[in-house]
This record gives sequence, structure tokens and C-alpha cells, in this order.
Amino acid sequence: MARMKFLCDADRCIECNACVTACKNEHEVPWGINRRRVVTINDGLPGERSVSMACMHCTDAPCAAVCPVACFYTTDDAVVLHNKDTCIGCGYCSYACPFGAPQYPQMANFGTRGKMDKCTYCSGGPEADLSTAEYQKYGANRLAEGKLPLCAEMCSTKALLAGDGDIIAEIYRERVVTRGYGSGAWGWRTAYGDTVNV
Amino acid sequence: MRQPITRLALGAAGLFATAFAALAQVNPTANSVQEGALMEALQSGQSVTGRISIPDSGASVLIDPSGRTWASLHTGTLQWITIIAVLGMLALLVAFYLYRGRVRVEAGFSGRKILRFNIIDRFAHWLLATTFIILALTGLNLILGRALLLPLIGEGAFGTLSAWGKIAHNYLAWPFMAALIMVFVLWVAHNIPNRLDLEWIKQAGGLLQKNVHPPARKFNAGQKIIFWSVIIGGALLSWTGIMLLFPGEAGPGTGWQFYQVIHAVVSAVMVAIILAHIYIGSLGMEGAFDAMGNGEVDENWAREHHSLWVEEKLGRDAAKSPPPRARATPAE
Amino acid sequence: MLVKRRTREAAQGGRLAQVAAGLSAKPLDRRSFLRASGLTVGGLAALGSIGGGLTRRAEAGPTDHSQDIEIRKNICTHCSVGCTVTAEVQNGVWVGQEPSWYSPINRGTHCAKGASVREIVHGDRRLKYPMKKVGGEWQRISWEQAIEEVGDKLLEIRERSGADSVYWLGSAKFSNEGAYLMRKMAAFWGTNNVDHQARICHSTTVAGVANTWGYGAQTNSYNDIRNSKTMIFMGSNAAEAHPVSLQHILEGKEVNRANVIVFDPRFTRTAAHATEYVRFRPGTDIAVINGLLWHIFENGWEDTEYLSQRVWGMDQIREAVKAYPPEVVENISWIPGDTLRRVAEIFATQKPSTFIWCMGGTQHTVGTANVRAYNNLLLATGNVGKEGTGANIFRGHCNVQGATDLGLDVGNLPLYYGLSEGAWRHWSRVWDVPYDYFVSRFDEVPGKGGRDPRTAEQNMEVPGITSTRWFDAVMIDAEEVDQRDNIKAMFVMGHGGNTVPRMQDAQRGMNALDLLVVADPHPTTFAALHSRTDNTYLLPICTQFEVDGSRTASNRSLQWGQKIVEPIFESDNDFAVMYRLSVKLGFGEEMFKNFEMIEGKFGVYPSAESILREINRGGWSTGYTGQSPERLKAHMANQQHFDLVTLRAGPDAPEEVRDDYYGLPWPCWGTPEFRHPGSHILYNTGLEPIRGGGAFRPRFGLERDGQTLLAEGSWPVGSEIEDGYPEFTMALLRQLGWDADLTADELAWIERIGDGDEDRINAVSWSTDLSGGIQRVALEHGCVPYGNGKARAVAWNLPDPIPVHREPIYSPRPDLVNDYPTLEDRRQQRMPNIGRSVQMAGVENRVHENFPIILTSGRLVEFEGGGEETRSNPWLAELQQDMFVEINTRDADARGIVDGGWVWVTGAEGGSRARVKALVTERVSPGLAFMPFHFAGWFQGEDQRGNYPEGADPIVLGESVNVITTYGYDPVTGMHEGKTTLCQIEAA
Repeated sequence: MARMKFLCDADRCIECNACVTACKNEHEVPWGINRRRVVTINDGLPGERSVSMACMHCTDAPCAAVCPVACFYTTDDAVVLHNKDTCIGCGYCSYACPFGAPQYPQMANFGTRGKMDKCTYCSGGPEADLSTAEYQKYGANRLAEGKLPLCAEMCSTKALLAGDGDIIAEIYRERVVTRGYGSGAWGWRTAYGDTVNV
Repeated sequence: MRQPITRLALGAAGLFATAFAALAQVNPTANSVQEGALMEALQSGQSVTGRISIPDSGASVLIDPSGRTWASLHTGTLQWITIIAVLGMLALLVAFYLYRGRVRVEAGFSGRKILRFNIIDRFAHWLLATTFIILALTGLNLILGRALLLPLIGEGAFGTLSAWGKIAHNYLAWPFMAALIMVFVLWVAHNIPNRLDLEWIKQAGGLLQKNVHPPARKFNAGQKIIFWSVIIGGALLSWTGIMLLFPGEAGPGTGWQFYQVIHAVVSAVMVAIILAHIYIGSLGMEGAFDAMGNGEVDENWAREHHSLWVEEKLGRDAAKSPPPRARATPAE
Repeated sequence: MLVKRRTREAAQGGRLAQVAAGLSAKPLDRRSFLRASGLTVGGLAALGSIGGGLTRRAEAGPTDHSQDIEIRKNICTHCSVGCTVTAEVQNGVWVGQEPSWYSPINRGTHCAKGASVREIVHGDRRLKYPMKKVGGEWQRISWEQAIEEVGDKLLEIRERSGADSVYWLGSAKFSNEGAYLMRKMAAFWGTNNVDHQARICHSTTVAGVANTWGYGAQTNSYNDIRNSKTMIFMGSNAAEAHPVSLQHILEGKEVNRANVIVFDPRFTRTAAHATEYVRFRPGTDIAVINGLLWHIFENGWEDTEYLSQRVWGMDQIREAVKAYPPEVVENISWIPGDTLRRVAEIFATQKPSTFIWCMGGTQHTVGTANVRAYNNLLLATGNVGKEGTGANIFRGHCNVQGATDLGLDVGNLPLYYGLSEGAWRHWSRVWDVPYDYFVSRFDEVPGKGGRDPRTAEQNMEVPGITSTRWFDAVMIDAEEVDQRDNIKAMFVMGHGGNTVPRMQDAQRGMNALDLLVVADPHPTTFAALHSRTDNTYLLPICTQFEVDGSRTASNRSLQWGQKIVEPIFESDNDFAVMYRLSVKLGFGEEMFKNFEMIEGKFGVYPSAESILREINRGGWSTGYTGQSPERLKAHMANQQHFDLVTLRAGPDAPEEVRDDYYGLPWPCWGTPEFRHPGSHILYNTGLEPIRGGGAFRPRFGLERDGQTLLAEGSWPVGSEIEDGYPEFTMALLRQLGWDADLTADELAWIERIGDGDEDRINAVSWSTDLSGGIQRVALEHGCVPYGNGKARAVAWNLPDPIPVHREPIYSPRPDLVNDYPTLEDRRQQRMPNIGRSVQMAGVENRVHENFPIILTSGRLVEFEGGGEETRSNPWLAELQQDMFVEINTRDADARGIVDGGWVWVTGAEGGSRARVKALVTERVSPGLAFMPFHFAGWFQGEDQRGNYPEGADPIVLGESVNVITTYGYDPVTGMHEGKTTLCQIEAA
């Protein structure tokens, strides 16, 4: 099985936020929930780079480790998903996550955050593939349709890559060789314990 | 309106922050910020942070490796601390029981009752006690339930239980804190440490030997230890708990993580202490439960454990009179 | 790998599965989705907190995977890149958006706006039904009542004040057909007061470029930038304004290791990806370009062969730029001499080089001159007319190129025919309406203010009032406006009211109008800025996703947009509304007689196909004749066959598109049957004209100062005339003996156009021959129909034939104003332009001391134009919730301003002020501030949400930058000064 990963090529990312709205569009994500976001480092300075970030679907995902109710599971494609029926909205995963992926309807007091929501790598949740129940809770399931996450598919400059980790690493490696520079595979070391060596 | 984001990437920002008007040639491609360089420049506990247009300051944190540190702490050390605290105390109590057995009223029950805790005292105590027990159980569930309970009752039941448990934990924290304040106000005067406590401690409160009864006022040193443990531990739990309930106040993720760790460690210690307290207040000592049961204790029990308090209560003479009717049936 | 969605699943599942699916696919509203997903509380609460409360009338549920999905393709309605939008439609509902992998332009990708367009046809912030203001309150009315009342009022105003007192403000959001229809409607109404957003984005480009080498458009394409070795961006923040273009730019940069040089006052997202970033003072482009040319001529880096063959007048430029040595340029523009030298050398020697500009270059009092300067840099280095070179003008709106082409302009009939009698006669023939009919529709203009009176026939040939000045034309003394009366009515279709400076005056203008009609999918600033109580109408128009039509991307490619869903609510399409209004106004039957009428929501309307065919019949001058609806649809259906870099369909492509360039970029000569492939790169002599090649267009005469204006020693390959030649006319064909190649039909047409008169037959040209015969014959002989001329480095008909630096009206350097003053006061487009007086008053009153910060403006990636549409889309609005001003750290510290804090920005005119948030950043240098221009709905601290019809207010409101911006108009096109003014900022 493929080992699905995300890779944001910071030398291509222009903070156009297509990934953000594509995600909103595909899953009808409500206001205040940002399954994906773009952060700009060194904003306004010559070193500036933007990076699109969402759940990285980590190896040994820390969210899954800390979840007191074990609502996370990893699919055959190495996608980290969770079960909203089990989730109690405790917020632990959001504090364990190095990437700020878990989202809640509100970060409100008394822990009334609501059920956690996060990037599903466009692959739904524990309900039957492509069912209405699945869409209602988790959004679309593109993987089940043989498609990849829409954020990456719609990325304006093809900065955001999604797919099998080996393949996208190879694409990135080739780019770096072609252009003679690279900014690194952002988040890979933290998420997967390794990085793309060029 | 939440704070907008001004922080540039920590550490490495300095590498690039040179006012670029001064640069002869500005080549943003050659200067591009590398993740590796940023991460290396980070001190532990820091994060790679940038600017984001949505008004959620947390979202501007791009990578915060401390999450993984906390996660491993949470799933390793904290679980073990909890397990050791609970099992350790249970083991101690069993050992104590085997060694000492139930601490009896050596003079036997007199049949004469002295009011030890009035209704307000008892209300405060029991409010504190019940909320603590529920908080402890629901809290333990978050730490250990996944390993212990989930396999037993299955995902569905466990999920429901945990969801209710979380709600109970969040809302019962408030009566717990109210009771804590009550208890503090009601009893603090009796719990100021004094010289007697040293003697009591030297004799281990007479718990280890029969017929040893160091003098004590209303609260002996052991109870004072429990009292102050509850007050200090409870305050710590309350403070960290409030921070966890109001994550906005706790600051960024690392702050929340800090409070969570304190909360969990103090909880483990408190659970252990309270286990001992429950034991000695019920099974472990004959006649002790009455103090919080109907509030009246047997005079002989009182003489053995709180001789000075009995003197105060009954007057010096009465206190010195021999214990009445030995070996009466227990009050309950 | 990727497997496409199966559409046969229903069949596989059998009947029971369908029943089950039907049960499970209950219509799902947002609330139940939220509840089910456990997101209820915060989601709705958050929406509530931003006002208005978002409740949806009907919500598209999830895709029902048991049912067939219909794929429809349209074009993104935001910027000019022309990204294909692939829509999944089920039961008439747009349920999903998929990547358009095969489009050679966007290859599946989008920006934030394109990736969220589906919301536009669901958005309940749309106008839902026609409304009018009664006693200050919005009231729902029917379409019949709206058309009836608006028509009556227009006719009454016409009666009282003349046809010119109604202003027809159109839109770059129209399809080509819609734009054409509105221009035609203005002609039938009898006025040249018709304009659209090109006025305020690239009118100066069109004027500057057309005056240099013939046509006012991007010479190459986004895709072709992949061939460039060096690119300069000047006043273009493509990363935010044209994000998908960056795909081509960055890949080109990587593959060619290309130089990406960004000149911008602000360190933009584009600058972040440059190989060299050069900061310069806003409004000093000409000094910078002349400074670059100084180095180029000084070092002999110019392309002498190219200049001698294809350019006229560069010697005069060489002399003129001697006044711009490095120290002078540095004093004016902040740029050190060695930086300029390095850039000049790279641009001139590491070729092919392209020059990209946008509104940072065009929105100035010197906009046209800026453009001319850019052109001279390209010409001097021989960088026009080849792959990887060119003036890559990134236009703004999705169809601003098309709307410009189709004459939504005060000075043109469709396709740049101008307003001359010949132009009117040409279009009269195409429209099959007597020329005299139009004469009868126009006002006679009395002699006012010492000016000569005009007959109706003369008035037809006088350009109208520009959209930047409409409110002045309402408010100004009637003597001053060069038409029968002031503007009394505005009919505004698809046009924001916050897009030109001096909004305090715009507000006064709106209040003073007798009639204001806003026809738009959203209530724009035109609907909300004013305090009108009556005679104000809102007509709900659908978007281009709800109607068929073609649109022209920046690279001149036409793409056919398919109707995705029926117009939502009670909205209706542009064609239908214009048809019904025309009928009411009395010329509908005449105007629409050539169109095929089809059944619509509220009656018949003309089909887009039939309108395009009429454009094809008349658009000879610009090569809008070959792009028949059938060919455009074939291109959309066969996108996968077009090459990513050349845009050409290969030999394996189906016959119907083989060898075509994608979208048949104009000029696409001859009739559709002639199968011209379109012109990917303009003026490209490396290709036969019949295969898309060309040459500079000789449209400025045959000689000047005794020198020829025809090309010398340069011709497109395969040309039978191996030298320069003028435009093709019947006379020239006869001279060459090529008239024998005309078919009998073609000859008959030409004779008909010439009315049988020999002289007039001889005068029939490639642009007036409705048969296309002259074009065909010229092309078949390897010639360009419009001729083979030289580009002009000196445009003697412009106020500044040679671009010279001129200080902005409000200059931070009053010491330079004496040496570099703006042009003298003048009259243009029926209005006075008192820029010079304003500039002098500013210097005398020491405005720069009270307003020490230069204010410039620009675009955000999430929003577009005036912003109503995008600020109403929650997926976009969430990303930019507050209007802000970028201010440098040092300026902020000095003023006690903190990032995210509220500030007052005050402007140099009329005590204008705006309350916005501070964004403290190094993007701007000390002394410079930047504000985005998409916001409206707050006015000088006042929240105007209550002025919008209930439920149609955009989610995000904010102050408009154009409250602060100031006087200043380009002398050629009336373009406003949107990029350089002065302001002060203080903590609120």
C-alpha cells in the first residue's frame, strides 16, 4: 500500500490560499474551522517563505497516542483518521500535534470545544466509503474515488504535493536538482522522522 | 479580537532580519529561509511561527515540536506516575493493614458521644469528598481508561462514558473548589502546626503500635497533613484546572501542556493521599468514620486520638475521669 | 494511479440501491450538516458573531454517488488568467468542483478565489429579487415593475436632459457577448458614455501599447513566459493578483534558471520569489526605465539590427534618456546606480526577456507614459515578437480584455474601430441598421463655455466621459461638462462603486443622481454608499456560471463558458435584462433582430452563440472573426491536445482543433471556415501569418519626419512581399494583382460595401471587408492583413511623445515638482482635468508635511475588485476579515501603533479619513504605507451595513482605500491615480 504524505515546496508556495478554500469547498467546512492553512515565515523580509500546513498524517501520530478515548486510527494508506462518535473534544490531540491540525468549532471555555475536526487527507472516516453519513461527519472521500486531496490537486503553483511519500519525495528532489536550491521538506522530520535528501 | 500575529520566526529570523535596504543586492531566492536552519536555531520549547491572515494566533504557529515531547510525556511518564502512586499507596495500605490490622478503640466504646463535626463541617467535607472522587475517577479515566477500561467495555460504551466523564469533570470542578474554600475557612484555625505535632509525628501518631496515643487537639498532625495536602493539592489542581478550562488564559500550547502535566502529577499524588485518608477514616480505624458520619464520635475514641480536644470540649476534669464502659458495641 | 469517478455506480447497485440512496440522500441543510459533524455550536456562533447570521435557503448536499454526475466547464470569473472551472452537477445543483487537469492554462489548479467559486451560485448573500428604495427602505418588486419604472425614468431623463445624461457603466465581468451587447445598447440609446473597469485597470496600457505597435493587449501569454530567460515585474504582484500564472513563471524560473527581477515599492509575495528585488518610490517608473535605458545605450547593449528594421524613433529616446544618469535616477527613485546597471545588463543581454506590468504601472497620472516607457525598454533590447519575450500585460478581471476589445469604452465601437464615421458605418452594416438611425439617436450639443456646438453626427464621434469622472460630471457646473447636460442617471452593471478615488465626491454624486440602477449579483457600493431614499433600483443579475458565453483571457485566448446551473433566486442573465430594457426603451426589436432568441427564466433572450456570430461578422480589425462558438466549444472539449508551452494542438489532435492555438487567441483572421489558428505571440515574424505570425502594425501613417514607418528588411517568414508594406485594401490588392484571387462572393461583398463607387471600393480594407476576402488573400500570400510596419518609440500624438518623469500630483518630493511637473491643466473626455493646479496647491500648502507617508494600494489574493462578491463568500471572507494598512515597523513605533491595533488613516483631500487595522511589517519601507482596495461598507468610521438590503450585505465590510486616494487623471485615458498619494496615520 502507498504511504500517503503531504509535501509543501516552500519555493513554490505563494500563499494564494487555494488549498484552504479548496478544502472548504470540497468538504463544506464551516467558518472557524481551518483544516488547512498557509503560514508565512519571515514575512516581508527577503528570506520570506510560505508553507501550507494541515494534518501531516504523521508516522506514530502523537494525536493518536494521547487521545484518551483512542478515537484515532491509521488507514492502509497511512492516513491518520478519527472517529467523531468516540471523540470527546478534550483537546489533547491539539496539544500533542506539532502542526496545529486539530480544529474545534470553538476553543471555548469549559472544554466545550465540540468534536475535533481535521484534515482527513480527503478520505472520510470510519463510516462506509462515500456514504452520506461519512460526508456529513468528515466530508468527501476522494481517496475512495481514486483521487487525491483537492488542496494539492488545485495548488496554483503545484507547491503542495500529495501522494505516495516516495513519489512526491522524488518529484521534489528532481525540482531541487533542476533549480539548484531548495528550502527543505517542511515538517517532514517532525512528522515522519526523516526528510528528503537532495 | 484576538491578538494578531507579529512574531516572526524565532531564532532564524535574526539571520535574515538585516535591514535589506543595506544590502547591495537583494536576492530573495538565495536568501530563502530553510526549514532545517530554522529548526536548528530553535531552542527547545520554541516553535516556527509566521504570519497568517486569519485572526487565530494559534494558527500562526507552523511547527511546534514540543507537541511530540508532551505526547511522549503524557503517554509514558505521566501514566507511570499515576499507576505507581495508586498501586503504591494501595500496597502500602495493605501492608499497613497486615501489620497493624484495624486500629481499634482500645478502651472500647464508651457509648457517650461528643459532637466532633457539625452539619456544615460535614456538608463541606462530603461535598469535597464526593466531587473529588468523581473528579479522580474521571480524571484517571483520561490517563488510564484507554488501557484499562476500553478493552473491557468496548469502544462505544467507553466513548459515551468518557464523554459524560469529561462533562462531569469540567462542571464538578466548581463545587469541588467551593468545598475546598469552605473546608479551608472552617478548619484552618485548627490546622496551624504546633509543637504537639512534632511529638505526634515522632510517635507516628500511635498508628504503628497499640496503646500509644500521642496527645492532639481537634486535628492531630496526621490530619493536618491531610488537610494541608488537600488544601495545597486542591489549590494546585484548581489553578491548573482553571487554566485547562480556559485555554485562552493558558497561552499557547506549551502553556497548556505545562498546566496539564502539573495537573496530572498533583492528581496522582492526591489520589494516593486520599486513598490513605479514606482507609484510615473508614476501614482502617474503628470509630473514625463517625466523625464525618453523624458527626458525633465516641468519647473513648476521642480520648485516644484527640485527648487535648476532649479536654477542651468537656472541661479538664471530665476529661480526666476514667473512660466509661469499656468495650461497648460500636456506634454504627 | 488516479482513476476517474465512475458514473455507472447506480446501474451496478440496482434498483434497491437506488431506493436506499434516495433515502439516504435527503436534502441536507447546513444546520444538519453541522450538527451531524459535531460542529454546530462554534460554526454557527462564529458566523453569528460576524453579523447578519448565515442561514441558507437551500444547500447543496453531498454528492450522491449513486447518481450520474454531469461535468460542465466554465471559466473562473475572477482574474484574467482564464482558469477552467470544472463543475460537477447533479439534478441541477452544482455539487462539486474538480481540477481541470487538461486546461493548458491552469492544469487543474486554482487560487483561493477559483477554488471557491462554487459558493457563488449557492451564496445567499446574493441579490434575490429586484428591489427599489421607497422612502429610504428597500422594497421587493417584480421584474416587470422594475423594467417598466426604470425604462420610464430613463426615457423621461432622456427627454429632459438628453441621451448623454445617462451613463451606461458596464463590466469586465460580462462575457464577450454581454460586453458587446451593452456597447451596442449604448449606441442604440445614442451615447458614448459607456465604460467599464478597463478604464481603471489597463486603459493606459491599451493606449500606450496600441500607440506603440498596434494592438492594446498582452503580446505573448502566461504559458510563453516559460521560455523567458529574464523577466521584470514592475508594478505587478502576480503572486496575489494572478496566482495561477506563477505556475508558469516559477517553472520557467526553475527550468531556465531564469532571472526574476521585481521592481516594487513593496516587498510582495512575488518579490519573495524573485532573484532580485528592487524597491523604488511609487510613481517614478519612467525615471527608472529611462535610467535602465541610459545604461543600455551607454554600454551598447541595445539590439541595433532589430531597431533599424522594426522600430522608429529610438534615436530620439537615446537622446532623451541622457537626462537620466544614475545619480539623477537615484535621487528620484531611490534606486542605486549599480543596481540599475546590473538589471539593465541582465535584461538586455540574457534574452529572451519579458517585461510584466500591471496596475502598479498603469494607475498613475503618467500611466500611458509609463507604459510607453516599458515598451521602449522592450523595443530597445529587441524583446517583442518572439518566444519568451514581450509585454506580458497581466490584465485584471476575467474578461477585461474581451470587454475592452468589444468596445465598452468611451472612445470606441467594438473591436477598436474608433468613433469615426467609417466606424459607425461599418457597424451599421454589421447590425443591419441605417447609419442615419444612430445619428437620430444622439444629442446635439449646444456651444457651452466658449466651446463650439456639435451636431448629433459630430457628437457621435466625441469620446464620452470616463468612469473615473462620472461623479464630477454629475456635480460639476453644467457649463464645464462638454455635452448637453450633466449626468443624471447611472445604469451600473457589474461595477463596484469603491474602485475610483475620491469616494467622498462619489458619495455626493450618488446622492445627486436622478436615477441609480445597479444590476449586479450583489449589491455593490453603488447600492450602499449613499443616502438616497428613492429612484434607486437593484436588479439581480446572475453570474457567468449561470449563463453561456465566451470570455477572453489576458493572453487573448477566447474560452467558452458553459452554463453550469440555472440563474439562482430571481436573478437573470445580462442578455435577458438588456433585451427587456431595450424593448422598453423602444429599440429592442431593431437591436436584437439578428439574434436567435431562446427561452429563459422570465421570457426570451438572445443566445450567446448568435451574439458571438454577429461579433464574428464584424470583428475584422482585431481578428475576432474566426472564433465561432463551434470552434471555441471544440477547444474546450479537446483541451488535453494543446501544448503547455506553445498552446498549439499537435498532429494527434482531432481535425477540428488540429494546429490551432488554444482559445484561438486574437487575431484569428478570416472566417471560421478559413481555420486560422489564432496568434499565440503577436508581431512574431518567425511564423507565417497564416499560421499565427505577424508584424508590427503600421497604423500611424506611412512616414514621419521623412523616414518610413514601414518595416525595413524584416518580414514574416514566407512573405511574398519581402519588405514592409501598408495595410491591405482593395486598392493594394489590385496594385499587386492579387484581387484575382478573390471569389465572386467576396468581390460582391466588397462592391456592396463600396456602394459601387470605385474610390470607395478601393478604400475597402481588411478591416471593413465583411467577406474576409481581403484578409484571406493577404494571408495566403504570406502577408499580414494590417501591414508590416515599425513600432513607434516616439508617439507624437500623445501629450508626452517621449516618456519623461513627472512627479505625482501629491508628491513627497515637492523639491522635484518644479523640474518634473505634471502636465498642464487640460480638457479631456468632455471634462476639465486640473491636475496641475492641484499639484501646485499641494506644494504651496506644504501638504507633504502634514501627510508625510506615501500611500499606495493593491490587491489581496482572497478578494477581487470592489470585493462584494468575494467578501460575500464565507470561504474567502474568513481569510481576510479586516481592512488594514501596512505600515513599516519604524513608522509604527514612532506613532505608538501596534500590529493589529486600530488606526486612523487621513488623506490629503477633504479631511478624508478611514479607520482600519494596522499591519506592522517590513513589506513596506519607512515612509510608505499600503492598503488593499477591495473593501467597502464602512465610510470614514461609519458602519454602513444597514444600507444594504437585508441578507445581501457582504460578510466582511471595511473602509475603502479610495476614500483616502486623491485627484489625478492620466491625460490620455482619464485613468485615476490609484497608486501614489500622501497620507498620515495615527493610532485610533
